[in-house]
Amino acid sequence: MSQRLFARMAARCFLALLLLVGTADETLAANLKLEAKLIWGTDDDKSPNPAHKEVDVATRDKLRKVFKWKNYFVVNRSVKEVPSRASNNFNLSEECTIQIKELEGPRIEVKLIGKGKEVHKTTLTINKGESVVYSGDDKNQSAWFVIITELSEK
Amino acid sequence: MNVEQQLKLQAWLDGELSESEARQVAAFVQEDREAQAIIGELRLTKSFLAGNEPEATLPESGDFYWSKIRREIEQPEKAAAKPPGVSWAFAWRRLIAPLSGVALIAFLSILSLNVFHQQPVDDSARYLVEVENLSDDIGSISYRSQSENMFVVYLYKKDQETDSESHIEPIDDTFFQ
Repeated sequence: MSQRLFARMAARCFLALLLLVGTADETLAANLKLEAKLIWGTDDDKSPNPAHKEVDVATRDKLRKVFKWKNYFVVNRSVKEVPSRASNNFNLSEECTIQIKELEGPRIEVKLIGKGKEVHKTTLTINKGESVVYSGDDKNQSAWFVIITELSEK
Repeated sequence: MNVEQQLKLQAWLDGELSESEARQVAAFVQEDREAQAIIGELRLTKSFLAGNEPEATLPESGDFYWSKIRREIEQPEKAAAKPPGVSWAFAWRRLIAPLSGVALIAFLSILSLNVFHQQPVDDSARYLVEVENLSDDIGSISYRSQSENMFVVYLYKKDQETDSESHIEPIDDTFFQ
């Protein structure tokens, strides 16, 4: 092996190692799979919209322990992956969009967008099994909720 | 006549057979013409070789001569067994491939340990939440329900009178931020 060939080979190995170091963290970081649900809370037994389905019993019981409404109906549901160090939009209705960004930590930045305008931003660590719930009053003593849950471990 | 019989004839001619075998072969030669012809040819060839073959004589005694040959045979083996004198640069080149492999494996192991073995996050960092109202018209109340494993952000219009207590059930283990 000549000196030149050896030097070229060593340089290639060094570059490959640098590339590996630079990309290893990004490659190994998994995407965040999240579910966002738009829910309507009411004391009525049925939703006026027949397309709305009741939430599952576990979610209903959790919501009942925190909020005052008796019944909760799923208006829309969106499941998406948020790439590492990137963001994704969850369009739940014409007026309501949730933008979620994956941050280092691991933390997430949740942005509520209403009628195209940014309304609120929350940055937090989403713990195992934890839900992030946005809520607000609606007409006729009812309320709306957006429940964000991580579907898989990061 | 087969090859074995021909070889036996040759051995008989060279005087390599036992007495009984030699008698049998002699009797066979007397009776068989082909055998007689072969023996004739072999005797003629032997006489030619005996007359013209160069005679090599050893300059020393036979034992001493063979001991020299044995020494010559053994010498290269010893030389091969001896480690060759190589330069440090050549040795380094031979080592660089396995060393690089080991270093890469070690590096990847450390990296994977750091990635997959997540450091325990202290509670203060885990429960640190930053909330920001991005609209002047909207206010927010946020709290965490430990029992229900839920972080709640309640939004309200600032201009309307809010009565959060009427909407949110009292929770013992929550805190307002």
